[in-house]
Amino acid sequence: MFKSIAYKEWIKIRLVVWVALGLGLMALINIFLKVRHDILFVDAANYWYSFLFRGFTYFGILKFFPFVAGLAIAIAQYFPETVNKRIKLTFHLPVSENGVLISMHLFGALVLIGVLLTILGLFTAGSAIFFPGEIIRASLLTMMPWFLGGLATYFLVALILLEPMWIFRGLYTAVAAGFITIFLASAPIGSFRPVLLPLGLITLLLAGVVLFSGYRFRKGEM
Amino acid sequence: MYAIECRNLTHYYGRKLVYENLSFNVEEGKILGLLGKNGTGKSTTINILNGFLQPYSGECLIYGENSQLLSPETKKRIGFLIEGHVQYSFMNIHQIERFYSGFYPDWNNAPYWELMSKLKVTPKQKISTMSCGQRSQVALGLILAQNPDLLILDDFSMGLDPGYRRLFIDYMREYAKAEHKTVFVTSHIIQDMERLIDDVMIMDYNKILAQQPVEQFMNTFRQFNITLESPGQEVLLDGIAVNIEKVKDKLEFYTYSTEQEVKAYLSAKGVGYTSFEEKKMSLEDAFIGLTRKY
Repeated sequence: MFKSIAYKEWIKIRLVVWVALGLGLMALINIFLKVRHDILFVDAANYWYSFLFRGFTYFGILKFFPFVAGLAIAIAQYFPETVNKRIKLTFHLPVSENGVLISMHLFGALVLIGVLLTILGLFTAGSAIFFPGEIIRASLLTMMPWFLGGLATYFLVALILLEPMWIFRGLYTAVAAGFITIFLASAPIGSFRPVLLPLGLITLLLAGVVLFSGYRFRKGEM
Repeated sequence: MYAIECRNLTHYYGRKLVYENLSFNVEEGKILGLLGKNGTGKSTTINILNGFLQPYSGECLIYGENSQLLSPETKKRIGFLIEGHVQYSFMNIHQIERFYSGFYPDWNNAPYWELMSKLKVTPKQKISTMSCGQRSQVALGLILAQNPDLLILDDFSMGLDPGYRRLFIDYMREYAKAEHKTVFVTSHIIQDMERLIDDVMIMDYNKILAQQPVEQFMNTFRQFNITLESPGQEVLLDGIAVNIEKVKDKLEFYTYSTEQEVKAYLSAKGVGYTSFEEKKMSLEDAFIGLTRKY
C-alpha cells in the first residue's frame, strides 16, 4: 500500500525535488566560490576571526532554501489533490482515511528531509575544506532553525491546502506566516541553540495537523 | 438483500433544506438511476454514500456498514466514478493502472487495456491532456479492472458527446448484467438512461417524486395532449393531474391515471376539448413531465 502511495506522490513531486536539489547545489557552489575567493584575498585567519568573533556568516544564501523547498514540495503534492476535489479518490482507496493521509505526509516529509540533508551534507563536506570543526558546528547550529522551518512550512502548507473552507485557509495562513517567521529570525551565530529543542518538538507536533483538514473534508465542511 | 440502504436522511446546507426523511434501498444486482434537476440533492446523496458528507440526521448503510465508517474491506467492493470523470490527471494510462493495481488483490487489467487500446492516446500522454470522452474511458476501465460489487457513478454523462455516452452505457449495462453488479447512477442527462437502468428514482427539491422499476414507471405515467375548446379555459393542477403544461389552447396533461379516468376528470371539471390523444413518452419526456420544465 505504502509503495503505491509513494509511487503516486513521487510522480507529483519529482520535478520539484530535482529543481530544489539543483537550486541547492547552485547555492552551495556560489557559497564555496565566494569563500575561496575571500580566503585568497583576505588572510584565512582574519576570515575565520570574522565568523568566530564578529558574527559574520558565509552561508546566508541558504537561509530561505528550506522554506522554499518545503513550500514547493507541499504545493506540488497537495494542490493536485484539491483540484476537482481529487482527494475524494484518495480517501476512497481501500485503506483507512487517516492511514492514507499519514502515508502521503510521511513520504513527502521524508523526501523533503532527504533534500535538506543532502544539501546540509554537501555544505558540511565543502566547509570542511576551508574551516575548522568549531566554525562548521556553529554554522550547522545556526542553520538548524532554518531547516526545521522548512519542515514546519511543509506541514503547515499541507494543512492549509487540504482545508476545505477559504476562511479557515486564510486564518491558518496568517498563523503559519507568524509562526514560520520565528524560524527565520535574524540572530548571531549559535544564538538559537537554547530554543532548538522546543522548536524541534513543535515541528514534530505540526506533522499531525494535516489530519484535522482531512477530517473536516470528510465531514463535508464547505 | 440490499447493497445500499438509506434511512430517514435529512440534510441542510446552512438553513437550506436539501431533503427530509429520504429513504431508499438499492437491491443487489440492480441498476438504479437517481434522476433530478440541478440542485435537487443528487451529489449530496452520492457524497453521503461515499462518506464525504455527514448527513444532518439519518444514515446510509452499504453492505450493512455505515457509509461514514466504511472499512477498507467494504471500500474494496465499491467502485466510485466522480462527477466529470475526475482521476489523477497528472499520470498517464500506464502509471495510473500501476498505482491502483497495488490496492486491489483481485485487480484484473484485461478490460482496462481492452478499452485503452481503443483510445488514440500515446503511452506517455498525461490524462490531463485527454478529451473528456477519453478520460471517461480511463475512469471506466479502472473501475472494470477493480471489479467491484457496487458501482457508484456520479453524473457519468457530464461532458460526454452522444457517441461516448452510448458507448459508456452499453459497456456498463452489459458488464453489470453479466457479472451481477449493483449500480447506483446519477445523471441530469436523461437521454439514453432507459438503456441502462432497471429502477428509477426521481428527485425534486426536498422530496422523491417517483421510485419504482423504470418499466413500471413508463407504463403507468402518461402524457395526454389535449386541444381545448377555448384558450382561456383554466385547468387546475389537482386531483389526478400530476402536472399540467398549457400554451394557449394546447394542454399537456401528465398523470398516473388511464384515458377514461382523465376524460371523466375533465368532464367533471367542465373542461371542453376538440382533440384528445395519448402521447408515447421517452424517459426524458416523462422526467420533464413529472418534474416540470422549470
